Amino acid sequence: MDTLHYLSLGFGVALQPENLMFALIGCFIGTLIGALPGLGPANGVAILIPLAFTLGLRPETALIMLTAVYAGAMYGGRISSILLNIPGDEPAMMTCLDGYPMARQGKAAEALAVSAIASFMGSLIATVGLILLAPLLARFALTFGPAEYFALFVLAFATLGGITGKNPMKTLMAAAIGLIIATVGIDLSTGTQRYTFGVLELYEGVDFIIAIVGLFAISELLFFIEEKAGAGREMIKVNPLKLKWREIASIFPTTLRGGVLGFIAGVLPGAGASLGSFITYTLEKKILGKRGDFGNGDPRGVAAPEAGNNGASSGALVPMLTLGVPGSGTTAVLLAMLVSLNITPGPLMFTQNAELVWGVIAALLVGNLILLLLNIPLVGVFVKILSVPPMYLLPVVTMVAFVGIYSISHSTFDLYFMIAFGVAGYILRKLEIPLVPVILGLLLGPEMEKNLRHAMQISDGDWSILWSSGLSIGLWLVAIIGLLLPVVVGPILRRRMQAAKEKVG
Amino acid sequence: MSKFNDRIFGLVMLVVAIAYYYGATQFPAPFGGAEAVGPETFPKLLAIVLGICSLYMMVKPDPDNAWPVARTFAELGIAIVALIVYALLMEPLGFILSTTLAVGTLCWRMGAKPLRGYLTGLVSGVVVFLLFTYGLELPLPLGLMEMH
Repeated sequence: MDTLHYLSLGFGVALQPENLMFALIGCFIGTLIGALPGLGPANGVAILIPLAFTLGLRPETALIMLTAVYAGAMYGGRISSILLNIPGDEPAMMTCLDGYPMARQGKAAEALAVSAIASFMGSLIATVGLILLAPLLARFALTFGPAEYFALFVLAFATLGGITGKNPMKTLMAAAIGLIIATVGIDLSTGTQRYTFGVLELYEGVDFIIAIVGLFAISELLFFIEEKAGAGREMIKVNPLKLKWREIASIFPTTLRGGVLGFIAGVLPGAGASLGSFITYTLEKKILGKRGDFGNGDPRGVAAPEAGNNGASSGALVPMLTLGVPGSGTTAVLLAMLVSLNITPGPLMFTQNAELVWGVIAALLVGNLILLLLNIPLVGVFVKILSVPPMYLLPVVTMVAFVGIYSISHSTFDLYFMIAFGVAGYILRKLEIPLVPVILGLLLGPEMEKNLRHAMQISDGDWSILWSSGLSIGLWLVAIIGLLLPVVVGPILRRRMQAAKEKVG
Repeated sequence: MSKFNDRIFGLVMLVVAIAYYYGATQFPAPFGGAEAVGPETFPKLLAIVLGICSLYMMVKPDPDNAWPVARTFAELGIAIVALIVYALLMEPLGFILSTTLAVGTLCWRMGAKPLRGYLTGLVSGVVVFLLFTYGLELPLPLGLMEMH
């Protein structure tokens, strides 16, 4: 019954007027971010972090707002999938398959409503899963020693590319680049200067918030310029909503299955929301078989992937909150927020910062309800903003990123640094080197090195301590599987997802 | 399909890895004598991982993505220069003027009509400035407009 006690504590935090207000703001901004093509959730949350700082928000309020943004972005991704046939973010791709045909049949409003309800159900199921699973996992994680943590960090990098990732070596390289950047600055335990080249600004290391905003926001701008996608695309008009209760009831079993499956995909390392929505859609198609009209605007084809990807995004919070090891780009950015608030993520957070953790979990439930209420009546507003062409929108977003970074330290040096990271991000993306491991490396680098040192101190310099316990051997094995699996299974899965994508185009 | 990108990047990263490893060997011995794991151990480990990855990239490169040609490349250059100039002028010119210039130029180069682009810049600059200065009480640089 501990959980219920903590949960009520969490609601106490989440329902404070200030937190409630920021949750509402977060939901609104999040939906916008998700809806706008080219402004993914990781990108959007990254731009908002410096602003949350400069506002001087309390840690729980800041985290509640950003979690609301995260949840909202998952809702928003579907709007452009349905109306434009362009997924707002990657996991929303499967929603195009039935959502766009529905919209073309003049049922855009119904598709939007069905997907909002499915998103709500998926998130709700996964949040309940999170509430049940997270405390157990946190308690288990307390048995981890430094060697196990080191292995866990390796596992996180190895599985980050995901089963569908193209080239695991490039994921590894990206992680190494991130970790290398993280070593710049004064070494915390000995005071040795490392790779500072006498530049004063480098003494404290590279601020990962600057790196994240640069890598995501600036490189995105450059990609839009290259693709000359400034004008935007023609959008389908939204009709007045006519949804019957019977129709909502008919998608109910689908959302239930989708939510559970999505949650599992979210918790597991290497799966993530994209795979979550893909699996749920495919499974639903198999289960319903001939009774469904998948691919031609079946409402259940809209509901399944939406429940799946929202379930997965809540599920992805489990490893982030309990182990301090995020499994996706956006949760990595949320982790960045925690680290910069001086909160050490990991199992201890559940006891030391119980109010914060449970406040965030309760806020997820509240935020979901807000999102559902926000998304059905206000869909028109989002559609209006969506019709602003990127050629106006992206420069303004870039400006907001500039203001955010500038307001942290009032130094223009940081701005040049951010631009440099943006150009680097553009080049890395061109070479198909993923950016998320770079960021995760930057974030986890100091923690990883600290654990390595602790382990070696315990063993007095014997490297075999890193794989001396059953648990650590297990973690290493999963890490190795995580690197090998994409080579074996990846091509098959990728081909199937590609086939689905081509049907969209 | 050419595979130059990965080979060249692999080579660059290999050089970085070697330089980084060399850098780690040059750290002064920490105060109080060397430990089993000093400040140089982790960087050495990373240099080896990076080195292996870059060798792999050179041996088994992926096919290239096309780089933008002439005009688009110039557009990208303009955008990057605009951002650098924005950072450069933020303090001397002040937030509103520099934002008008930077956002306006970006909008224009992305395909908007120049007047509408610069107007977007001006309006967004003024709104954000007011929001920050009066709403959040975080003053942004006024620059030239400070005279009034």
